[in-house]
Amino acid sequence: MKVKNLNQYSSYLSKYTELRFQENRTMSIAILKGNLVQNLKNSTKGVSARVYSNGSWGFASSPDTDNIKYVIESATQNAVFLDNREKKSASPFTPDNPNMEKDYSTSKRKFVQSEVMDFLREIDSYIERKFPDLSSRTVVLNNLDMEKSLLTSDGASLYSLTPRSYIRFSLSMDKGNDPVEVYESAGGLGQFEDNFSTPDKLFETLDKLYEHLVKKNEGIYAAAGVKVCALDSALAGILAHEAIGHTAEADLVLSGSVAGNYLNKESASPLVTLVDFAHTYDGNDCPVPVYIDDEGTKAEDMVIIDNGILKGYMHNKKSAQHFAVKPTGNARAYEYFDEPLIRMRNTAILPGQSKLSDIISSIDDGYYLIKPSNGQADTTSEFMFGVVLGYEIKDGKLGKALKDLTISGVAFDVLKSVTMISDDMTWSNAGMCGKKQLIPVGLGGPAIKCEINIGGR
Amino acid sequence: MTDTLKYCYTSLKKANIDKFQCSLTKNTLYEMNMEGNDFSLIRTTIDNKLNITIIKDMRKADISLNQIDIGIIDDAINTVIELSNTSQQDPDYDISPKQEPQQFSCGSAKPATERMYSLLKEFSKQVTALFPKVMLAETVFSHNHSITNFINSNSVDFTTNKGIYRFSTLFSSKDSDKTSSFNYSGFSLKELKGEILNQGSLNNLLNQSVEHLQAQTIQGKFTGDVIITPDCLDDLLYSYIATFLGDRALITGLSVFKDKINHLIANPKLTIHSKPLSPEIDDGYFVTADGFAAEDITIIDKGVLKSFMLSLYGANKTKLERAKNAGGNWVIEPGDKSYNDIIRSVKKGILFARYSGGMPSANGDFSGIAKNSYYIEDGEIKYPVAEVMVSGNLAELFKNIIEISKERICFGSSIFPYIHSSGVTISGK
Repeated sequence: MKVKNLNQYSSYLSKYTELRFQENRTMSIAILKGNLVQNLKNSTKGVSARVYSNGSWGFASSPDTDNIKYVIESATQNAVFLDNREKKSASPFTPDNPNMEKDYSTSKRKFVQSEVMDFLREIDSYIERKFPDLSSRTVVLNNLDMEKSLLTSDGASLYSLTPRSYIRFSLSMDKGNDPVEVYESAGGLGQFEDNFSTPDKLFETLDKLYEHLVKKNEGIYAAAGVKVCALDSALAGILAHEAIGHTAEADLVLSGSVAGNYLNKESASPLVTLVDFAHTYDGNDCPVPVYIDDEGTKAEDMVIIDNGILKGYMHNKKSAQHFAVKPTGNARAYEYFDEPLIRMRNTAILPGQSKLSDIISSIDDGYYLIKPSNGQADTTSEFMFGVVLGYEIKDGKLGKALKDLTISGVAFDVLKSVTMISDDMTWSNAGMCGKKQLIPVGLGGPAIKCEINIGGR
Repeated sequence: MTDTLKYCYTSLKKANIDKFQCSLTKNTLYEMNMEGNDFSLIRTTIDNKLNITIIKDMRKADISLNQIDIGIIDDAINTVIELSNTSQQDPDYDISPKQEPQQFSCGSAKPATERMYSLLKEFSKQVTALFPKVMLAETVFSHNHSITNFINSNSVDFTTNKGIYRFSTLFSSKDSDKTSSFNYSGFSLKELKGEILNQGSLNNLLNQSVEHLQAQTIQGKFTGDVIITPDCLDDLLYSYIATFLGDRALITGLSVFKDKINHLIANPKLTIHSKPLSPEIDDGYFVTADGFAAEDITIIDKGVLKSFMLSLYGANKTKLERAKNAGGNWVIEPGDKSYNDIIRSVKKGILFARYSGGMPSANGDFSGIAKNSYYIEDGEIKYPVAEVMVSGNLAELFKNIIEISKERICFGSSIFPYIHSSGVTISGK
């Protein structure tokens, strides 16, 4: 799908309207214990329109991309249905008309299907051959190409192709006590060819993962209670996204999230600056670059916490109008038939001045927590994350590995306890964020030293 | 059989595919959305979903698309054949055997839009009037109509025509600087009934949301009882099935119940059915993804494991019996004690209202936060709690059941009672 210019349809747009063509293409291959349990391609393509009538939205979509007049008329009818009943008499949005084309597709020769499959099989064979004492293993590839063309009645337009590809491996061991499992992901922004060249480049990662698994199999259970911990970047990233980021989405602020109480107040340690990046960090592409959002707003970085002070929220056009600020470019939709919602893009705590090794050596009795399994958070910023990889720290040195554990707390309190931040930054975008719709997001961060509640047995 | 599926059938036969299945779903969605207490959006979508699965020379592949033009289908068939050529041979890949052609139907094809609007408006007004501190975050009221045709190369030919109303809402409460944890619930209906507020557990949960503005922390740690609410049970049961009874758990051999068919694995008071066809379930289904007409089944009968939840592939791979449906639509048999009597019997524990935690470990160990929950002591609910962690083992949780309430909540997609169990580690500050 390549509809790069929608200006030919501008005569259909009478009220404020967003017209979007989009195709999502996915490929999923999963090998479980040597068995190919998934070998799937999917394409979902269509056109949608969203129309604004005096404060009420109407949306319609069709898989038939020639059905443009129909979707605009249906969306208008839906908006008018609400407008006639609700009579909000809201002001129009401030017009804005940025234009952009951004294509992240590979310039390399595309792999044929058999090459992709052989690549994954070689990884699976390596694991089976090298680590015969595993009870199970999984190799999963997920590719997603999101290609869209957007036109608004204000004249904003976008053509973008944003791909991501990643491989997730998990290794399990069962020596008769409790089965243990660890996982790792590789890949990120870009199509398969841009992220993966030859399987052997991943072998070192697998070797390290296996070392962690062996240690975890002989690991200990973490002791319950509040501990000083070093949270590695993946955990700091999920804390920034799940527990802080969501509370600072303006629609959730309007629904009572705790961040509504903290604007321009001290809400974290002065060491903490937390940003939702639009597309670029330190001169490099973020995992999920957004230049123009799905409402046609130019996407800007949003500084949520600046040196400990909560400075603002992420907005779409409507919430920005409510708060009398500029929209930030956070309105994003996943499929062509989805309406844009306020979503994060690339959320991270900024690096500090310390080294991870110094953080660890500064902890007498605590934990180094590395990999989350999942995370959930509340509008109060209370959170829970599963941790599948971590080590105890005794007298400033790493000790035994930890069995699976859960950490929890109130995120704003945890960020107030931050005393050291490492000077590096690691991004990941293997996850999907759920909020009515799924959407790919980037998470990043350095390692942080903080106090956190450990859920023991 | 639709023209599209006839075309797929002919093309796949012509390509000498050994076994194949195809389904085409045409879906129409009408959806009203509220942000806060305001109507924000009406959304109508139409979409197609064409799924093609082929097995050629014991090699399997799948493709799905929403475009059904002949040329695009031709490309998709070529692609799925290419995918299968790269697949590995596995004798356990299969499709469902010949069954009598059937047509299934439930619900209405068209939404009653004015009625939906008035019900939602009434709900919004009632929440404002009865629960002024409640902040609705995201409320969605939809009608979904789908026609699904399913065929396979063994002459299976099923048609399902289904209309369903679904409602969900996410909310918290706010009073000055105090904010309660969010909570959510919903329900499904074949036909619109009375007030939204009286469906499922909504009224109760909205009331609890306001009470949670006064949530307190528990000091220390103890092993106590839990009374699992119907909403919470939905999440825990999903984890239980996936951890112990599903394809992955059994193919990997990690399930602790892998050799426990016809063995006692839970308290004899527990009986769990999966009833997609039952008249008491509005939001059921008729055909499984692997092409079998679904049947109502009993998973656990008086504590005894009667069925794994294995797909056709999982069953072939493990040499165990396939489940006669695809799970879900859980119906748990009621007990004979009232909810109030159960509360009165608790010495020390919590009313466990929502589990915020990840999937349990392979052995069933779980650890997470008890959200929207209450502290119980000496037979009384004392106060709402915050920041309370719970940990235990899912298998043990179902073995340790003490009572099951006679009251049940019907969500349209499932029916759950309150379950009283013990042996859970509950830790506060």
